[in-house]
Parts: sequence; C-alpha cells; structure tokens
Amino acid sequence: MPEFRFKSELWTAQYTGIKAITLGTFLKALKEVDDDTIYYHLYRNMFEYHFLPTDYWNSFSYWFAENGYPVLAEKFSALDLLECVCISDIRDEMVRILEREGHSFDKICKPFYFIRAVRKVVDLGLVARDLKELREGIERVGIHSLFYHIVTSRLVHCSPLNDFSRWLTEIGEVKKAEEVNRIDLMSVSLYQLKDRLINILET
Amino acid sequence: MIEEYAKYVDSGTLKELEIIAKDLRGIKVLHVNSTKVGGGVAEILHRLVPLMNDLGIECHWEVIKGDKDFFKVTKKIHNLLHMPDGRSLDPEDVLTYMKYTFENLSYVDTDPYDVVFIHDPQPLGLVVKKRPGQRWIWRCHIDVSSPDEATWKFVESFVNGYDAAIFHIPEFVREGVRIPTYIIPPSIDPLHDKNREIEADLVESTLTRLGIDPERPIVLQVSRFDRLKDPFGVIEAYRIVRRRVDCQLVLAGSFASDDPEGEEVYREVIEAKGDDPDIHVLNLPPDSHLEINALQRAASVVVQKSIREGFGLVVSEGMWKGKPVVGSNIGGIRRQIINGVTGYLVNSNEGAAFRIKQLIVDEDLRHRLGRNARERVRHSFLITRHLKDYLIVIHSLLEGS
Repeated sequence: MPEFRFKSELWTAQYTGIKAITLGTFLKALKEVDDDTIYYHLYRNMFEYHFLPTDYWNSFSYWFAENGYPVLAEKFSALDLLECVCISDIRDEMVRILEREGHSFDKICKPFYFIRAVRKVVDLGLVARDLKELREGIERVGIHSLFYHIVTSRLVHCSPLNDFSRWLTEIGEVKKAEEVNRIDLMSVSLYQLKDRLINILET
Repeated sequence: MIEEYAKYVDSGTLKELEIIAKDLRGIKVLHVNSTKVGGGVAEILHRLVPLMNDLGIECHWEVIKGDKDFFKVTKKIHNLLHMPDGRSLDPEDVLTYMKYTFENLSYVDTDPYDVVFIHDPQPLGLVVKKRPGQRWIWRCHIDVSSPDEATWKFVESFVNGYDAAIFHIPEFVREGVRIPTYIIPPSIDPLHDKNREIEADLVESTLTRLGIDPERPIVLQVSRFDRLKDPFGVIEAYRIVRRRVDCQLVLAGSFASDDPEGEEVYREVIEAKGDDPDIHVLNLPPDSHLEINALQRAASVVVQKSIREGFGLVVSEGMWKGKPVVGSNIGGIRRQIINGVTGYLVNSNEGAAFRIKQLIVDEDLRHRLGRNARERVRHSFLITRHLKDYLIVIHSLLEGS
C-alpha cells in the first residue's frame, strides 16, 4: 500500500512593489504578477478569516467593493477555486471577468498592493499506511497541513484531486475520495474541515 | 516553553514551528532596539527572544545607549516619519544622531551574528557595521506612509543598506525602498501578564484600587501619553456619549524611556479632563501589566482613536479579552478590526461616540463582536504566528545567500 506523507506549508508575505490605483492598472498587474501573488490574494482570506462571517472570499473582491465595483466583487468572490486546477486557469478567468464586466478603467481608486506568498513546505515526519493512520494523522496535524493537502498541493500539481483524495483513490477508497474532494471549502472553516475529514474517514 | 502555547494554538502548528526552526539550528540571531521597557517592540522581544532560543536558535537582544539629547532627536524623527508637523530635521539633529550611532557601533557587538534584526529608526545607522555574509533586516514598527519627506530621505539612505525590511502593512512601504520587503504584523503574547487569564476578584480589586466603579460601564483607551494617540479626541467622544448613556472613561498609559514628550502630553490630558470625576487618567508604571489586563477585561468597550499608528497592539490586546474595539480607520488598526465583525472602524470623534454608545447599550452585539474579535487574534495576532513569519524570512534570506 502506498504511503501518505503529511506535509505542511507555512507562508509569510512579501510586497511585490506593484500597486494598482485604477481598474486599468489592476488588470495590467493581474496579467503580469507571478502565481504566488495571485495565490496569496485568492487564498489569504480563506486562510485568515475562514472562521468569521466576512463579506467576500478574497482580497480582490474587497478592493472592488471598496472602490465602487460591487458586481466585480461578487463575481470574483463567487469563483469556485476548487473548479480551477491551476493558478493560470484562475488568472485567465479573472481577466475574462474584468474585461467583460469592468468599466471606468481610469477612475482613481484606493491603492491595491500586490503581495506575494513566500512559501515554505515542511515534511512533518508523519506517515499513514492505511485509513486508520490517515485519520489519526489528520487529527494530529494543524490546519496549515490540511490547507496544504486540500488546496495548495492541487495547484502545485495542477490536479483536480486533492492529496487525500488522490491517495484514497490509489488505495481503492474511491467513494471516500470523492466525498473528500466534494467538500466545499467556501462553506466550512478549516477547523470544521478537519472534523469533516475525520467523519468521512470514520464512516 | 513553546508547548505552553498549546492551550491557544493547535499542537500541529507548534510542531511545524519546531520543524522549521530545526533547519536553522547553528545560526546566531541578534535583535537590537532602543529600550528594554515600554512600548510594543520591547514587549514582543521579551518573549520572542526566549522563544527562538527554546526552539534551538541562538538569539540575543541588545539595547543601544543614548541620553536625553539622542532620544529627543529620535522622538523627533519618529514623529516626522509618522507625519509632517511643521518642524524639520536640522543639521544639529543629524549630528546628534550620527554621534550616538558612532558610539553604539562599538557598544553593540553585531559581528558574531548571522542575522541581525534592527528595530525602528533609533539603531538604524548600525548597518554600517554589516559584514559580508551577514543578513541584516530592518524591522519598521511605525507608520511611514506619509512622512516628512526630508526625514524619510535621511532614513532611507540607511534602509537600502539592509538585506530586507519588514513593515506591518504594505501602505507603509515607501517607493524609495529598493530591498525585499516583507509584510508582517506584530503580535501579542497570550502568556504575558498583560494578556493571561486572571481572576474576576483581581479585576474588581484593581478597579477599586484605581478608583474606578466596577458596576458602571467603562470605556477604555490604553496608550502612552502621545498626541498621535488622540487622547483629546477620546475625551470629546466620551462627552458625546455621556449626553445619553452613563459610563466612565479610563485613559491609561505610561511614559516610555525613549519618549521625552510623555509628561507634557499627560499634563495636557489632565487639563482637558477638567473636574469630571468619571474621567480617570492613569499614569501607570511601565510594568503595570496586570493592571492593564484587569482594565481591558473590565471594559465594556475598548477604544483606539489614534491619528497615526504603527500598528496599535492594544487593539489586539482588547480583542483577545473578547472586547469589541472601536478604532480609527487608519494603518494597522484597520488591519486588526474587521468592521462590523470584530469591532468598528471610525473616522471622527462623533463616529466613535456613536459606536461606543451602540456597544454599551446592546449587550448581545457586544458579546458577538467580542467573540469574533478573540478568534481573530487567536488566528492572526499571537506571537506564535509572528515567530513563524520571522523564521520564514530568515530561511528565505539565508537560502538566497
């Protein structure tokens, strides 16, 4: 049986030096910044505010809302991040929305600062060889690790499956794999995610 | 030591800190600032340095020396970096700054260290000592988003000699900064006397000792006596609230050793208080951590009405005690408070008064926002997160060497 190695990812934030003060400059920057910058703005809110009743799911949406672009705010917030398998897909979709729905591209807005995630992946030294060990591992690791296996590694591998689902599929637990892959990260906190994963693996 | 945080942070996260620190064993880290006592920087270092050592990274903390003349100049620099105030940095100020920087070059031994963190502008000039192979990081704790330009230019000439800089929020990064800049908010320590759980009896006896009525609502601002903290605006907001709602105002602070203006502002605040017995202006010794803790726990509403603020850790302190905070819609305060979710962001004395009233009157609202506020801090503003950020920055800079 293949092993599942628990990893985690820790990040900090680095300013790219790029800031947008109009929708036009925002669009230009969105096309140019690196994937780690898009990643930061899309997922930081999911990570930092997942347990709070906030209005939008990413920093882009907050900026649009604050500057009088409510439709863009909603559309960006409604992007199903789990439908996109790599950052470039999400970037393309965002550019399409902006080019279709954007207006007043020269209006001066409050600055948007593009920040890059500086990422460090660590091996937690924890291995699962069967379902029971996977469940025990999930109980032990922190929410950063769950976030890595459910969100980040999919993007790194450009895969429609998260790590847990891929491994579960490999060991023949296809139904559990599908259930895990269906979890809607937009509607659960990372603490609830842990409970949901444990629940699925227990049944 | 790190395991003491398991009560607040999940054990998996603590394990990750140990793993990432393990890779850095063998390196030596130095932090340098200008005071051991008073202010958020010293508070953070008091805990951060032992924590790094506990994780196996040799870490030391040095404080530069300086007399009243030097700190008068550095306070002027501090104020001018926050905002222009009609003054300018004159040649005599620069000479004083350079003279003490020169003295500190031989006083602070930075040579044995692989990574040197310099906190704020006071010790900034030490960077001329940087030797090849070392990584020097300037940690800026103040809001430099709209400074006196000439003062910033003076500072910038040193900043670009560093390998990296860290600011609390991106709005503070000036365009002339040409080195990698990280965005890392500061943090509070849940085990510090100022933040740890304390008995209700101690809260009550502290209030009684300080002459505050424990039975009536308390509006609290904790900050050193500094015009940039706008104690006068808080008094005005309180007076608007008092037209309709009963409450007491507590302005609690202390004088920091590197802030010569504190006494003058304190006297002005006493004057502004007049003969109102419900305004309590408390000049507490810098180590009055339990008193501050008790006041924050007893408060109905915590206020932070600063005009400029590097970050305003007292906001997180209040939030950690489950209090909704009414804060100015500026700088680091905006980063901590999620408007309507963990507290309120306001833009005027009148706006502050409106939100204070609302929170005093509506107990459910107060508790709901307070619960959210505590969770927000638990997730984003505890010292374990700060430590993680520093470790990643060190990793990142050493990997690039």
